[in-house]
Amino acid sequence: MLKNYLKIALRKLQKNKLYSGINIIGLTIGLAACLLIAVFIRSELAYDQFHTNKNRIARVTMDYQQSGTATTTAVTGTKPGPQFKRTFPEVQDFVRTYIASRVVGNGADMFEEPSVLYADSSFFHVFSFPLVQGQVATALDVTDKIAISSTTAKKYFGKSDPINKVLKVGTKDFTVSAVFADIPQESQLKFDFVTRFDNLGSFTQEENWWTANWITYLILKDGASMPALQKKIDEFMKTPEVRKEARLGNSNDYLRYNLEPLTQVHLHSKLAGFEPNGNMRYIYIFSIIALLILVIACANYTNLAVAQSAARTGEIGMRKVMGASRRQVFYQFMGESALITLIAGMLSIAVAAMMVPYFNEITGRAFTVSDVMQPVAVVLLLLCVLIVTILAGIYPALVISGTGIMSILRKGFNFTGGNTTLRRTLIVAQFGISVFLIIYTGIILQQMKYMREKNLGYDRDHILVLPVDRKMKENFVALRDAIANVPGVNSVTGAYETPEFIEWGDGIVANDEKGQHSISLNALPVDLGFTSTMKMQMAAGRDFTESDFALMDTSSNGANFRQPYIINEALARKIGWTPEESIGRTIEKSDPGPVVGVVKDFHFESLHEPVKPLVMFLSRDLVLTFMVRISGNQQQAISRLETLWKERVPHRPFQYHFLDEDYNKLYQAEQRSATLFVAAATLAIVLGCLGLFGLAAFTTTQRVKEIGIRRVLGAGLGSIVMLIASNFLWMVGIAIVLAAPLAWYAGNRWLQDFTYRISVSAWLFGATAVVVVLIALLTVGYQAIKAAIANPVKNLRID
Amino acid sequence: MIKITNLEKIYRTEEVETVALNKLSMEVKEGEFVAIMGPSGCGKSTLLNILGLLDDPDAGSFIFNGIEVAKFNERKRADLRKRNIGFVFQSFNLIDELTVFENVELPLIYTGVKSSDRKKRVEEVLDKVQIMHRRNHYPQQLSGGQQQRVAVARAVVNSPKLILADEPTGNLDSSNGNEVMQMLTDLNEQGTTIVMVTHSEHDARYSHRIIRMLDGQTVLENIMV
Repeated sequence: MLKNYLKIALRKLQKNKLYSGINIIGLTIGLAACLLIAVFIRSELAYDQFHTNKNRIARVTMDYQQSGTATTTAVTGTKPGPQFKRTFPEVQDFVRTYIASRVVGNGADMFEEPSVLYADSSFFHVFSFPLVQGQVATALDVTDKIAISSTTAKKYFGKSDPINKVLKVGTKDFTVSAVFADIPQESQLKFDFVTRFDNLGSFTQEENWWTANWITYLILKDGASMPALQKKIDEFMKTPEVRKEARLGNSNDYLRYNLEPLTQVHLHSKLAGFEPNGNMRYIYIFSIIALLILVIACANYTNLAVAQSAARTGEIGMRKVMGASRRQVFYQFMGESALITLIAGMLSIAVAAMMVPYFNEITGRAFTVSDVMQPVAVVLLLLCVLIVTILAGIYPALVISGTGIMSILRKGFNFTGGNTTLRRTLIVAQFGISVFLIIYTGIILQQMKYMREKNLGYDRDHILVLPVDRKMKENFVALRDAIANVPGVNSVTGAYETPEFIEWGDGIVANDEKGQHSISLNALPVDLGFTSTMKMQMAAGRDFTESDFALMDTSSNGANFRQPYIINEALARKIGWTPEESIGRTIEKSDPGPVVGVVKDFHFESLHEPVKPLVMFLSRDLVLTFMVRISGNQQQAISRLETLWKERVPHRPFQYHFLDEDYNKLYQAEQRSATLFVAAATLAIVLGCLGLFGLAAFTTTQRVKEIGIRRVLGAGLGSIVMLIASNFLWMVGIAIVLAAPLAWYAGNRWLQDFTYRISVSAWLFGATAVVVVLIALLTVGYQAIKAAIANPVKNLRID
Repeated sequence: MIKITNLEKIYRTEEVETVALNKLSMEVKEGEFVAIMGPSGCGKSTLLNILGLLDDPDAGSFIFNGIEVAKFNERKRADLRKRNIGFVFQSFNLIDELTVFENVELPLIYTGVKSSDRKKRVEEVLDKVQIMHRRNHYPQQLSGGQQQRVAVARAVVNSPKLILADEPTGNLDSSNGNEVMQMLTDLNEQGTTIVMVTHSEHDARYSHRIIRMLDGQTVLENIMV
């Protein structure tokens, strides 16, 4: 029996290549999307789950208020770790961590390494990063040891044993003590080197509440309760001794520490640590999209199966005449649905494997083909196959098996509402989903374009960014001038960080006739020529000049030290000054000094945020990056710079990037959503059209005789095309009317996250409607024209 | 074998009520070959459907092999049908996706015959209708006469007591038609009861008895000598 069903199903597949193709392609795409998304979700949920002590480890985050401004951050000072270990018996140990970019060298081989982890010696005891070589106990037992990843070991030492070999990190030599397995991508800590925390400098020996740069983890003793410890920490931080030590003078000010369970950080914490966190919202969006695509593919199957059932009246009638029971016919049809879905399921594994690189671009992850082939993924896929088999196949199977013999023989199958209500509903749903996705995607793309093209208050194009280290600062001015003299370089400046995302948090005090203003703000140490190189506009005053250095008098123990400042308009407004009034007034960050200029507001965070108060201060010591404006032949200028660099900065590889790349990174999440939605919208419309094409082909075949008669009676080509097309176009119309308001609402919700955003324009809706109708018309029109231009006599002979 | 008394069948749509069978009574004895004739719409096909246990009557009695089956539900009818009745249709009704062999095998599958027995029996009947050489062909690859021979093979493969034939030669030329009629006659001679609906006086002459129908009733019986 089963063999017979299988035979029929396979031969049907072969015979109806168009319909089988549509069904298999549609379901393959839908299932491949589901498979990839399952791989992504599994990976997100697996984050940090591999640590043996995962349930005992907490990340300590900091939450404080000073001068009326509350801040939460994932970084802490050096103190909470050791202090909590001493104070609370529940705390077994602590690890403070910091990831830095360093130049690492093995003899002449030198690389700029972005992931050098500094961590307390307890690191390998707390976290489960398995060692391939070396011992946990001795990996970090003395200061000058360093552990490296397997890949790094190969990179620097090839096949030879790396243990006890020497690597130069920055200017210091380290002995390789251990090799750890490459870090899985499901880890919030990703690094290629680990050395001890105290290698960061002598300041790490001091315990400090406030200099918050480090991510601190605690491991609790077995059986200790995290919530209970949290309560104790809260109480402890309120004690007068601690408040005094933390210099919390104002009674509204506070300093708190929150424990986040390690495994909750990635998906549930609002505070990014070493990398941007995942987001449950992303998981929901991904799941919904997978589901929508699958629904469209299922709808195609159901629609085509229902439509085709009419052509199977004879077969099913005969089976029933020969004694087939209702159950047998039901199983036969479910079997056909299962077969098609199973074929699609197998193909989807191959398709998903091919799509892995694109998927990585969308997710920003590093999945491999083997992730797609994992047992968990395949089991999930099989589950999907089962669900699709039932979802797509059950309706046609129930109706066909449930129809009595005489009804079949007399009238064929009768699906609810005269065979069409369900089909129409499904088409409306398919096109509704497509229209929604197209409009929503359009809104995202428009906002992305707006952000790319928005005037930020400075010119971010053609700016090359280069690092500055301690050694380079010994000859800073000479190096800067040499760079400035390279042909193709317009100007050069230095700053602590690049202006697209200024993170340095600080505070100032300003006094005027209205009293004292304490303001929390961002600050940026800069060198000369910063505003001019960035092409920022001054609202009043001037840029820093050489003469300003004279104000910074460090003699007599800094008694006469005056720090010159440039503020932005937002800060002037916050204090209550006009730009002009600000010039010459004194403000005090850590040292008092005059405001020499007011720069027009520029965006120094993503456009999600409004422009906040900012102060720039002249400080060559704090410069960590060069910004070089180049023009003309970019490649030539870069190669000249490289020649200069090799000559002047032999201890560092010449590694540069462009400022506009940094800017675009601010919108990586949005860029990924945009890519995802473009892909989803394309899939939706392609699958929808595939189904429509199949249905139109089918309807046309059904109406071949009618078309023939109409042609004989004198109907023109146009009227025949309209006859067929109008059947479908009004459904597409309803889909547009239903989906557009939903897309408008969803798009606006998404835009709410941006302080600077576009307003959704009506033409987007109009354009979407026109495009979708045109696509549908083309899809249906092909079949309609084919039928209309066929010889009517031939059509009439069919019956 | 068949005894029907006062059989009624009425088709209702929203506006029209059509009486297909109007208190019809008739009897068919085991081993008989009966032809049913009459103009289009006289109820021949309705009668054949009820005799074939495909449809149920609205009123009246239908005794098949001594059992009252008029009130049987579809499942019971199906069970009785697949063991006792074979069908031959005007338009052959072979399944396009199955080969000749597989089409003939189908009734045996539904009655649960073992695979090895099926093969033997299918080959036997294919041999009998002389279509063995075409066993692996699909229906579209056969001529009309060949298709109807396959249909006859399919009807008899289960060794039914009764064969119902609905215009079995309607789609065939005269030589193929005669061949099919000869096959039915041979089957009848071997003991199978046959009830055939036909428009053709020529075909009707192969039967023992012709029942003529009009407006859902029998109006005349001719005994063929």
